[in-house]
Amino acid sequence: MNSKRIVAVALPLVVAASLASAQAVPDNPEKLTFAPLTYNPPSAKDHRVVLKNGMVAYLAEDRALPLVNIQVMVRAGVWLEPPGKEGLARLTGSQMRAGGTKSLTAEQFDERADFLAAQIGSSMGDTSAGASLNCLADNLDDSLKLFIEMLREPGFQEDRFKLAKDQILQDMKKRNDESEAIEGREFQVLVYGDDHLGNRFSTEASINALTRADLSAFHEMYYYPANMILAVSGAFTKADMVKKLEGAFVNWPSPKRVVAPVPTVIKTASPGFYRINKDVNQGRVSVGLPSVVRTSPDVYALEVMNEILGGSGFTARITRTVRSNEGLAYSAGSGIGFGTYFPGRFRASYQSKSSTVAYALQLVFEEIKKMRETRVTDEELLTIKNNIIQTFPSNFESKAQQAGTFAADEYTKRDPLYWSTYRDRIQAVTAADVQRVARQYLVPEKMITLVVGNQAEIAKGDGKHDVTIEKIAGGKVTELPLRDPMTMKRK
Amino acid sequence: MILNVKRVALALSFAAVTTLAGAAEKPRIEVEEWTMPNGMKWLLYERHDAPTIATGWVAHVGSANERPGITGISHFFEHMMFKGTNTVGTKDIAQDLRLIDEQEQVRTEMRALMAEMRARLRRGEIASMDDPAAKTPRYKELEAKFDELVLKQRDNIIKDQLDQIYTKNGGEFLNASTNEDLTVYFMRLPKNKLELWAWLESDRLLNPVFREFYSERDVVFEERRLRTESTPLGKFDEAFNSIFWDAHPYSWPVVGWASDIPMYTLQQAKDYFTTYYAPNNITGVLVGDFKTAEVKPLLERYFGRLKRGPAAPEVVTLEPKSLGEKRFYAEAETSPTVRVWWQGVSVVHKDFAVLDLLTDVLSGRTGRLTKALVLDRKIANNASAFVNGQKYGGFVGAEVTVKDGQEPSAAEAALHEVIDKLKTEVVPDQELQKVKNQAKANAYRRLSSATFIMFQLLQNDGAGDWKKINTQAEEVDAVTAADIQRAAKQYFTRETRAVGIFTRKAAESGAASQEDPDIAALPAEAQPMAKQAVARIKDEKDPAKLKEQLEQMRGQAGQVKAEAKPIFDLILKRAEERLAEIEKEGKN
Repeated sequence: MNSKRIVAVALPLVVAASLASAQAVPDNPEKLTFAPLTYNPPSAKDHRVVLKNGMVAYLAEDRALPLVNIQVMVRAGVWLEPPGKEGLARLTGSQMRAGGTKSLTAEQFDERADFLAAQIGSSMGDTSAGASLNCLADNLDDSLKLFIEMLREPGFQEDRFKLAKDQILQDMKKRNDESEAIEGREFQVLVYGDDHLGNRFSTEASINALTRADLSAFHEMYYYPANMILAVSGAFTKADMVKKLEGAFVNWPSPKRVVAPVPTVIKTASPGFYRINKDVNQGRVSVGLPSVVRTSPDVYALEVMNEILGGSGFTARITRTVRSNEGLAYSAGSGIGFGTYFPGRFRASYQSKSSTVAYALQLVFEEIKKMRETRVTDEELLTIKNNIIQTFPSNFESKAQQAGTFAADEYTKRDPLYWSTYRDRIQAVTAADVQRVARQYLVPEKMITLVVGNQAEIAKGDGKHDVTIEKIAGGKVTELPLRDPMTMKRK
Repeated sequence: MILNVKRVALALSFAAVTTLAGAAEKPRIEVEEWTMPNGMKWLLYERHDAPTIATGWVAHVGSANERPGITGISHFFEHMMFKGTNTVGTKDIAQDLRLIDEQEQVRTEMRALMAEMRARLRRGEIASMDDPAAKTPRYKELEAKFDELVLKQRDNIIKDQLDQIYTKNGGEFLNASTNEDLTVYFMRLPKNKLELWAWLESDRLLNPVFREFYSERDVVFEERRLRTESTPLGKFDEAFNSIFWDAHPYSWPVVGWASDIPMYTLQQAKDYFTTYYAPNNITGVLVGDFKTAEVKPLLERYFGRLKRGPAAPEVVTLEPKSLGEKRFYAEAETSPTVRVWWQGVSVVHKDFAVLDLLTDVLSGRTGRLTKALVLDRKIANNASAFVNGQKYGGFVGAEVTVKDGQEPSAAEAALHEVIDKLKTEVVPDQELQKVKNQAKANAYRRLSSATFIMFQLLQNDGAGDWKKINTQAEEVDAVTAADIQRAAKQYFTRETRAVGIFTRKAAESGAASQEDPDIAALPAEAQPMAKQAVARIKDEKDPAKLKEQLEQMRGQAGQVKAEAKPIFDLILKRAEERLAEIEKEGKN
């Protein structure tokens, strides 16, 4: 054996041992102390630029990689679809990208974008529309030209439109394939109502009736500079980028139009137990009701309350009870959202084998009731408040995220003080606040319980616990037949 | 040249920059690789955009290290690593260990009874292992006794304390994941909490306690139900994968076969830990806002306490070259799909980059499969190819969503035609440059977030070579058109492929499971075809098409063979009913 090698291996061990004795490992993590960490969020003001044509852009330079990222937010979406034309908004958004431009066929456009390695996208959602470009900085000019052409003069090429319809109609048949998809869709309908903009389903008839002219007109109506906000990040200098953007949007006139506001009314179904039959060996359960809009002063207490109840992973009460203690589910917890235009929603959910669906529901309702009846412990409150406050920097982790957040805030007219006051407002939440909002908003008698699964098996229970879903969920029992996926009428 | 991307960028931001020279010239990052005396390796990469550190470590063990009977134990074990230690998760460790011991004694007796149940199952005396009738009174007694011990232990446990400590200290997305080759544990935390991380992670490697073992088996079984059993394709994906691999342990699912999950024992978990969780089988990764020189002594102090173990046993089974094409036909709740997998190579194989670029030529909006199958021949709604490269092997896959009304066999033939062209003609320069441009841009995109870099380092190290994060782009750039042609000839052969044909299962009614009594009356072998035909008729919305089909069928009625008569009559009857239905709807 080579003795030198032994020495070489032994030496670092000696060093390690001396270090260890100099600074011992404490026997409990609570004995560790940490240097203080201060963090100031970036401010929107420092990034905001108004272009010559009046467009607002948020610019964030980031020279680490030779990439440029441009996002465009457009005030358009499903809420603007005329009745009978369900599917128009989403198709317009996707076909802007897929159907070429006035000067380039779809084939030419796609070949150019792919050769430039530029990722170009366009889509429309319920309450906003958007487009994005991510390209190499050294071909920004060529990529930007393509991107602007798509935004301004999309071609809506007929054969691509026909293909998109085929794809949509084929995917439509899949609407009842996944129990998760059924649950998500129907819970949304129960909380917000059939007519709500998130629940205007396209059908075979509505898709077939759409024409290229419909798409073209919808685009024409909403895509113009005054109806857009930009978020730009990546390898550029601010002055240079402003010049490029002004060049790109120059000569594109903006009509004087007011876009209709997003409707704010929701129609929530009566509380009670709703069931949908689907032959799978695990039942999916959602329990919930509408919450509030984000300008409500209660959102901070509601956020802390939800984290303690079911939003903080293994630390949360529902997860601990249903998953960790009882082994009844892999995923069990709750979430709460706060709406920009209409109330968000609270939803507790889990998935469990058919026989234990009812027992797990009982545990979930007990946890909800406990939030109302007893104050949370100081330790729970501290844990959650610390977590929300200390993970705050993650909201601004990358420059792309910063620019995107600022643009979205302007689009939705968020309170400019939101980010700078956020941590203080969370810090101010007390155990009494948490209990008060739980009592005010998490009213068990108002809850909607939706169960998707094999109802005959679920009804049998586990043979150990004397419990039925009807008794726990309360209210009326409603059988919801599956919808015909092509007409969305119930069978 | 290797550039430290961030450092160069910072240096230049002080100068007046007018060109784009500030950005990295190559998609490379300068990672420091460092091995401690106990064999634990570290990959350290500083990146100072946010005051956080993305942390992770990978144990070089996954389902490929298992054997029949304990399939899924790597993944289950990953769950056990969250159950605490001598310090974390308990009020009184002595009491805790005593209760675990008592639970184990009960479980040992239960296992003996389960062996008897399996014997009864083999003889056909019980329907399944979950059959309530299978449980003897003694078994039920033991179950009750066990539940009592669990409740007793619960009072002594601090539930999920690991998660609570991290949560309270600003930790985010604490989680773990397992695949065939590796098990990774990761999270992100504020930069001032790195010592806490070192404390907790080294503690769970030094002093783990596998408490709540049996309820966690139930959790994992729910995970199996969630991902595999109650999804439209989960079971089929699992079955297809298992026919693809003949000999290699990649054939069984990472989550484990349903029969194996309820049979894991505490002793197996302990043995598993000893064999695979020694520091010399683990690599740690830190990416974020720290100084390498400062963290090394910290890592040494905490992780240096771990004792080197014997080298983990190697996976020695080699997948033999397949001798004949395999075919898999299934009815599932999904759009009609053709799936083809060809035997491929490990991610560290010299041909991996060639296959990677080759599948890029086939995929995407301007890829050959989209052009041929979707745009030109209008036989499919989607078509793409991909390369899968793991530690011990891999495959090249293609997936085609067949357009309604088209035959899967025609789509499959068209797919093979596109593939065969790669063998007979070299890829033109422009097309090759296009996919290389994309590969290079994507190599930069992969470096855009610290957290994502952390994941890639874990993944690449677990699959055999962390340096792939830097070398992959150059390897792809070096591929020639001749390489692609050679690889196409070498890898795309009939005998090395498995083909899956998925057709849509007849729609299920929501009210109850709807068995068509007429179909049920047919001979078993005729039922799938009848179901399919009836489903297609039910889907038909165009009365003209139905009428045409009816005409055709009536014309053929005389030539139908006697054994096919019942199915023929049924289809005719259903088509007539459907036509009447549509016509009625039309009038309403």
